[in-house]
Amino acid sequence: MDAPFRRGDERRAADPVSVVLGISAYYHDSAAALVVDGQIVAAMQEERFSRRKNEAGLPRQAAMACLAQAGLNAGDLDLVVYYEDPFARLERIILASLRTFPRSWKQFPGAMRVQLSSKIWVLDSIAAMLEIPRGKVVTTTHHRSHAASAFYASPYERAAILTIDGVGEDVSTAMWKGEGTSLECLGSIEYPHSLGLMYAALTAWLGFEVNEGEYKVMGLAAFGTPRFKEAFAALIEPREDGAFALGLPYFAFHTDTDIAFSPKLEVLLGPRRPFAKPWDLSGCAEDRRYADVAASLQWATEEAVIALAREVRARTGLDDLCLAGGVALNCVANARVLRESGFSRVFVQPAAGDAGGALGAAMIGAVELDGERPAPMTTAALGAPLSNDVARSLAERLGLKWSAPGDVLGAAADLIAQDQVVAMARGRFEWGPRALGQRSILAAPHDPAMRDRLNRVVKKREPFRPFAPAVPHDRAAEWFTGADNDMAPYMTTTARVEPARAGDLGAVTHVDDTARVQTVTATSAPDFHRLLEDIGARCATPILLNTSLNGNGEPIVASESDAMAFFLSHQVDAMVVEDVLLTRR
Amino acid sequence: MVTDNTRAPTGKVTRFVSRAGTVGQLFRHFTGRGRLFMLPVILFILISAVLLVLAGGLSYVAPFVYAIF
Repeated sequence: MDAPFRRGDERRAADPVSVVLGISAYYHDSAAALVVDGQIVAAMQEERFSRRKNEAGLPRQAAMACLAQAGLNAGDLDLVVYYEDPFARLERIILASLRTFPRSWKQFPGAMRVQLSSKIWVLDSIAAMLEIPRGKVVTTTHHRSHAASAFYASPYERAAILTIDGVGEDVSTAMWKGEGTSLECLGSIEYPHSLGLMYAALTAWLGFEVNEGEYKVMGLAAFGTPRFKEAFAALIEPREDGAFALGLPYFAFHTDTDIAFSPKLEVLLGPRRPFAKPWDLSGCAEDRRYADVAASLQWATEEAVIALAREVRARTGLDDLCLAGGVALNCVANARVLRESGFSRVFVQPAAGDAGGALGAAMIGAVELDGERPAPMTTAALGAPLSNDVARSLAERLGLKWSAPGDVLGAAADLIAQDQVVAMARGRFEWGPRALGQRSILAAPHDPAMRDRLNRVVKKREPFRPFAPAVPHDRAAEWFTGADNDMAPYMTTTARVEPARAGDLGAVTHVDDTARVQTVTATSAPDFHRLLEDIGARCATPILLNTSLNGNGEPIVASESDAMAFFLSHQVDAMVVEDVLLTRR
Repeated sequence: MVTDNTRAPTGKVTRFVSRAGTVGQLFRHFTGRGRLFMLPVILFILISAVLLVLAGGLSYVAPFVYAIF
C-alpha cells in the first residue's frame, strides 16, 4: 500500500472503510488474507513464517503480517471470516462414520479426538488469537470460499465457476454461477466421491507424500502413456450430467486414516511403489509402468474436469470459467479445459487450494459489509516485503561477500547470461505455491544440462521434474502456443512450446513439449519484467527458467534471514536480496 | 452474518462464555437442519469431550493420509 490506513475512530470518521480478515486453518495450508475497502491488501500462508511446509495451525503470524502491511491492528477489524463451517464438517464426519460402520470404527475415536480438541472451537481460538470479540468471527462454507476466491478475484463480471478439491464440509465438487456480487450454487457432488481424494490415493500408491506429491505425479504423467484406461474405468465412473462416482471398494480414505487405498487397488493396478524410492525412468521397466499409471490417472482426472466444465457451461450459458480447489492447481488439466470445454476464457487464481479459501472468505465478508464486489486481483505479490537495511546488516554479520550495485537487476542479468544460477528475493513474496519472480531461482532456459543441475544439486529432487519459463507477455507468442490467457500470469496452466523454437528452451521444455509458462507484464511485476527485458538484450531470448526459492521439502523463502540461510545451504552462484547482491568468495 | 462488539475473550470466564456460545451454535446447527436424531450422539460426544479435557488427554493428531477430519 502507498500509505497506511488510519486507525480506529479517526479512520472511520474520516473515511469509513471495511476491514475484513479471511482465515483458513486446521487442515493444511493455513493462511490469512486481508481485504480493506474492497481491495486485496495482503494474503499470506502461515508456512512462510513458521517454516513448516503446509502448516496447518492457526495463521497467527500471517494474520499479523497482513494487518502490518495495511498499517492496521486487530482492533481495526470489522469482521473475521473462517473459510468453512466446523459444525457441518463435524456432522459429515459423524454421518460418514455411521454409514461406513463397522469399517470406520478404528478411525472414529481419532477423528473425534481431533475435532473435539481443537477444530470445533476454531472460532473461539481465532477470537483469542486476535484478541477480538468472539462475535466478530463468523463462518462461511468451504466451497463458497473457493468459489469466491476464484470469481471475485477474476476479471469477469459474470462467469461459471467450478470448485473441485478433496473435501470441504461434505462436498467435494460444486458448480456455481457468479454474477456481480452473487454466487449461486447450481449443484454439487458429495464426499466420498472426490477427484481430489482419488488423485491423493493414487499419489500415495505411487510412493509420494500426499498433499505434496500431486505435482510430482502430474510431471511424471508426461513420461508415460495412459494405457490403463480400462482399469481407471473401475475407479471413476462418469455420469451423464457431468458428475462422477468413485469405485469406493478400491479406496480407503473414508474408512481409514492410515492408508488412502484398499487392497483391491493393488489387485487392480499391482503393488504400490515403495515410499521415496529413487526413480529410474530410462532403465527400469517397473518405473515406466508406474509412469503409465500416472498418465492414466492424469487422463482420467482431465476427462472428469472437462465433463464438469462442459456441464457447467451448458447450465449457465456463460463464456468464462473460474476454477478453484486443490484440483485447479493441476495446470495440465486447466490447459485442456481451456482448449476443449468451450469456454472462451478461464481464470485460476494462484492459491487455488485451501490457502485460497482465506482470500475467498475475506472477499465474502467484504461483499457482506460493502454490498459491492471487491476489486479483482492484479498481482500475486501480496506477501510481506523485504528491507535493504536488514539484508545489508545480515550479510555483514554473517561475513558474506556482498555488494550493492546501482543496477542490481542488470548485475543479475549479467550473471545469468554467463550461465550462473541466481536466487532472487525482491519485494513482497507471492500468494500461492508458485514463485513468480519475487522469490525465485533464475537461470538461462536454453540447456537441458541446467535443468539436470538444478534438479540434482540445488533442488535435490526427482530428475523428471520440469522447470517453468517466464516470458514477457507481449513476446510469449514467439515461443509458445496457447500462452495468451488469464491463467498464465499466475502459472496455473501450460502452453505448447513452438517446435521451431524448442532448441532455445531445452531446460524448460517438458518431455511432452509443453511448459508451465508464466507471462509477465510491466504492470503486474515491474522488476521481473525489466529483468526479462535485460536478459533479452543480452541473450536475444527474453526468457528465464524460474523455479521456487526453496530447498527440497522447505517452504518458499519469506524473510531476509530465510534468503541468507538458503544462500548458505544451497549451491546457487549468487543471490539478490532487495538491492543487495551476494556472491561466492 | 451479524457481528457484535462485546468485549474480547480474555480471561477464564470470558473464555468459558465464548465456548458456551459455541456449544449453543453447535446445538442450533443440528436442531436447525432437521438432524434431531443426531442429538444423542452429539450429547455423548460433548460429554466425552468434557471428560477428556478434564483428564488432560487431548492432543492434536494429524491424519496420515489427508486432513479430512
